[in-house]
Amino acid sequence: MNEMSEVIAETPETPKAGKKRGKWTRRTFIGAGLLTGGALVVGVAIRSGKPPERLRAMLAGGDGEILVNSFVKIGKDNIVTAVVPHVEMGQGAHTALAQMLADELDADWNNVRILEAPGDGHFASHNIAREFLAPELKVPSVLEPTVDGGFLTLAKMMALQITGGSFSIRGTGQRGMRAAGAAARAMLVAAAAEKWQLPASEISVDRGIVAHAKSGKRAAFGELAEAAAKQALPAQPKLKTPKDFKLMGKPIARLDIPAKVDGTAIFGIDVQIPGQKLSYAAVKAPPVVGAKVAKMDASAAKAMPGVLQILNMGDFVAVVAEGYWQAQQALNQITVEYSKSDADKIDTAAIFAGYGKALDEAGADGGDTLAETGDAAAFFAKAAKKVTAQYHVPFLAHAAMEPMNCTAWVRGGLCDVWAGSQSPLGARNAAAKTLGISADKVNYHNTYLGGGFGRRSETDNIEMAVRIAKATGYPVKLIWSREEDTQQDWYRPSASSRFEAGLDASGKLMSWNNIHTHLFDPQEAPLVSYYNIPNSLIRKVDAPMHLRFGPWRSVDHSQQSWFIESFVDEIAEAAGKDPLALRRELLAKSPRHLAVLNRVAKMAGWGSALPAKHGRGIAIAQSFGSIVAEVAEVDLTAKKPRVTKVYCCADPGFAMNPDGYTAQMESGIIYGLTAALYGEIMVKNGAVQQSNFHDYPMLRMNEAPDIFVEIINGDAQRLGGGGEPGLPPLAPALTNAIRAAGGMRIRHLPVAKHFA
Amino acid sequence: MQQTKILFIGLILAALSACGSPAEEPAEQLIVAKPGAGAAPDSSPAPAAGDLASKGKAIFAAACAACHSVEAGEASGAGPNLHGILGAKAGRVKDFAYSQAMKTSGVIWTPMELDLLLANPAAKFPGTAMAAGKLTDAADREAVIAYLTDISK
Amino acid sequence: MKLTINGKMQEITADPATPILWALREQLGLNGTKFGCGIAQCGACTVHLDGRPVRSCSTPLSQAEGKSIVTIEGIASGDGALNRLQQAWISEQVPQCGYCQSGQIMSAAALLADNPRPSDEQINIAMAGNICRCGMYGRIRKAIKVAAGIDSERQQEAAT
Repeated sequence: MNEMSEVIAETPETPKAGKKRGKWTRRTFIGAGLLTGGALVVGVAIRSGKPPERLRAMLAGGDGEILVNSFVKIGKDNIVTAVVPHVEMGQGAHTALAQMLADELDADWNNVRILEAPGDGHFASHNIAREFLAPELKVPSVLEPTVDGGFLTLAKMMALQITGGSFSIRGTGQRGMRAAGAAARAMLVAAAAEKWQLPASEISVDRGIVAHAKSGKRAAFGELAEAAAKQALPAQPKLKTPKDFKLMGKPIARLDIPAKVDGTAIFGIDVQIPGQKLSYAAVKAPPVVGAKVAKMDASAAKAMPGVLQILNMGDFVAVVAEGYWQAQQALNQITVEYSKSDADKIDTAAIFAGYGKALDEAGADGGDTLAETGDAAAFFAKAAKKVTAQYHVPFLAHAAMEPMNCTAWVRGGLCDVWAGSQSPLGARNAAAKTLGISADKVNYHNTYLGGGFGRRSETDNIEMAVRIAKATGYPVKLIWSREEDTQQDWYRPSASSRFEAGLDASGKLMSWNNIHTHLFDPQEAPLVSYYNIPNSLIRKVDAPMHLRFGPWRSVDHSQQSWFIESFVDEIAEAAGKDPLALRRELLAKSPRHLAVLNRVAKMAGWGSALPAKHGRGIAIAQSFGSIVAEVAEVDLTAKKPRVTKVYCCADPGFAMNPDGYTAQMESGIIYGLTAALYGEIMVKNGAVQQSNFHDYPMLRMNEAPDIFVEIINGDAQRLGGGGEPGLPPLAPALTNAIRAAGGMRIRHLPVAKHFA
Repeated sequence: MQQTKILFIGLILAALSACGSPAEEPAEQLIVAKPGAGAAPDSSPAPAAGDLASKGKAIFAAACAACHSVEAGEASGAGPNLHGILGAKAGRVKDFAYSQAMKTSGVIWTPMELDLLLANPAAKFPGTAMAAGKLTDAADREAVIAYLTDISK
Repeated sequence: MKLTINGKMQEITADPATPILWALREQLGLNGTKFGCGIAQCGACTVHLDGRPVRSCSTPLSQAEGKSIVTIEGIASGDGALNRLQQAWISEQVPQCGYCQSGQIMSAAALLADNPRPSDEQINIAMAGNICRCGMYGRIRKAIKVAAGIDSERQQEAAT
């Protein structure tokens, strides 16, 4: 990630937690216009205050305005189309975003349709945007990103159409879709007032009908759309408060589900090009990342049925055939020699030894300080009781059900690309850059994603496919084998973390000193500001590694939450305290956290008797704006631990679609449980050892616990995410439960290796 | 939390310049055929069924042979090669990717274990790749186990 | 090679060793059946071969000759009304990404055909060959019980 360090170097102020900056102002702009056919369109744009030139160019093509693709279109046929700038990978964003817009608009849900914004970057029109100052947003709390961070997040996620960071609802939905819906509603009302010559204040809107009660006048949205487009934009579109919500907060059925039960939903792997015969490509990249193809012997493969082309691309080998299976069979017959490098010597043990060395060198006060309160080292030196621990987590693959794939057709200086990507604009730009053509020559088509989890924010599959398609000249569908998908991932990094805690004579936690190896983000993941600890020091050391790494569901929270919450339990054990009681003590000044913790404890019947060799573990984590606590119940009577129940309480501020939010918690719990129990990517001779579900196993239904989820709507003004926050507390709840059941204290994941 | 910003800038750059290198031409390009022209599919028939020497062999051919080879040294198919299965440990064949459930079971294949497996593979090994092959008739299982015993000699 | 697919006789020209999955997807355009692992470990490719669930990624065409295959596209009733499992999948809001769900529904359909009133344990066993990375196992279990008419909560709701 050279790009990242380059920007860090150029940032005038070295970022440090707690430092105030405020040079960005957040202003929301609404644009409206008339489409041919008399449809009203309303969109929302965000403009920065004084963006540095570099950023401005990157974000908005030079004019300082970041136009965002959250739109509503209201047609003469009364159909309300919510245009959403995020992709659907099962998280339910399409439906929830439409729900938010439709509620502010008071639309008839039966007439709402969803359109995913095309990845062309021009969906928003600069010409129809007129300035508008939104109500000033509140100063961010500990739960919100900083003004800077928040602004950039919003701009990036919306304008660049990236889906990730559990962002869609709390960002795009809260600040984009709702504003667009409210503005459109105000304009429809103004149009009716003008037509009927009645005061706007007496006009109401309900389920797609604009009405004036006293006179009995009524009009459907479609009748007013054209006139509405000519109305002045509202200076302050008023957003509803929860008491007026009609769709928000309701468990509305997801609109993408029917196509997912009858086989008609189109994923990237299902793409067909009308009128074109597709050929299929299978690929094999060097097992050691960065190696090149030194020699290829394709004599056997050449003679195999269906084979069309065999390509040595330098950094991978591809076979193009009439069918995918034929391509893969032929590929299996190709022998390849790869270039050698120092990375050939790396194995898992050496990687962790390197982490240990980096941590040793940093010592008690070295490394980069992320947060500091009081004097942790000084207190620790004189502490009545000292607790220390070291933890390790492995590399993890994403293992989305749909293996990576991409269909591309390159001809006449143009390129069409089909895939399911979390970053459609990134995919389009990657294709353009790879081919050396401008982005407007690339037509990118996004599909449903057969799982994303962060993997589909990378574009390596796109680049490979366009290179192959350029060589063939005819359309090619590239499909990775499961083996390739497992071995050529952008992995969740492995990491090590060390802790020292000091307790006073009364058993109170007085100091917390943590240092961990670090590669990724968000950098607040290792912070514990919600815990009331008088002296704390949190540091990181950079730990280079040769494997590619990328965002994996909840990113650094997946590691840090396990480190933190395991250590909290170790402190409780050392202090002779109940793990719940210690956390209550530590959360005395964090009422929302405490409420979540208490609720989950109550749900789980914390403290009630369990059979022998059974145990409960508790953990709490704050990530992506949401607070989630979980209790896992474990049965250790058999050879391997069995998780029987998981209780989860989440405070996302306000759950826009409670059933969708609950489903996200369930999903994060199973994804986290799979990883904690089994997940481990190992390296030998520089190469990833695991290859498919037989050696990188997944949790199955017979091992799936019963899951109970409750939601607290703690603050409707500050929404948190859903896709990721269910995951972080699961691993520590599990290992804490194993300890409580009389098992060992696990300090190295995955759990299964300790029970082999 | 200021770092959030830096990260996002990094991600934006990564998204906009995801591929650092310009378009790379293939180092070698072997063009064998054009799509739809030539490259006729292999039309050789499936191997003919052999003599049905015993009831078990016949049942095996109908219910099991789709996935399992039996000749010594023959490659595994959708299921592992079964030559010498009697008395062997589950998960022994090198060229087959066993499910975690099967591989870690520690089962030694006695006639009784085989009978349990064939009666309901998924119940014996939840998560097994053996989705088919259930024999509900005990007499059929007995015959197939007799055949497997025969070929394990 | 002749085989019956979703009730219709189809003629396929292909290497008999080709897995059924790829013939369905690439030759017949039946894309509802998914590729997940290629080694019968994940269940995304599950179809019915003469009524039995098989992993089509690992079952060669030669084994299907003259037999009947049913895919996700073929389990709705003739008039296009959804199968009771498909209906339950919607009412319980089961799918997230949805990629594994064709295979899940085909495994569940085979289970209910064999055992109309399965216990939780029997459901777990029958479904353990199907991986869902979105982790919707609890909802799948519930939807199977709703489809089978054995979900106690639902029955109580219906009664009141």
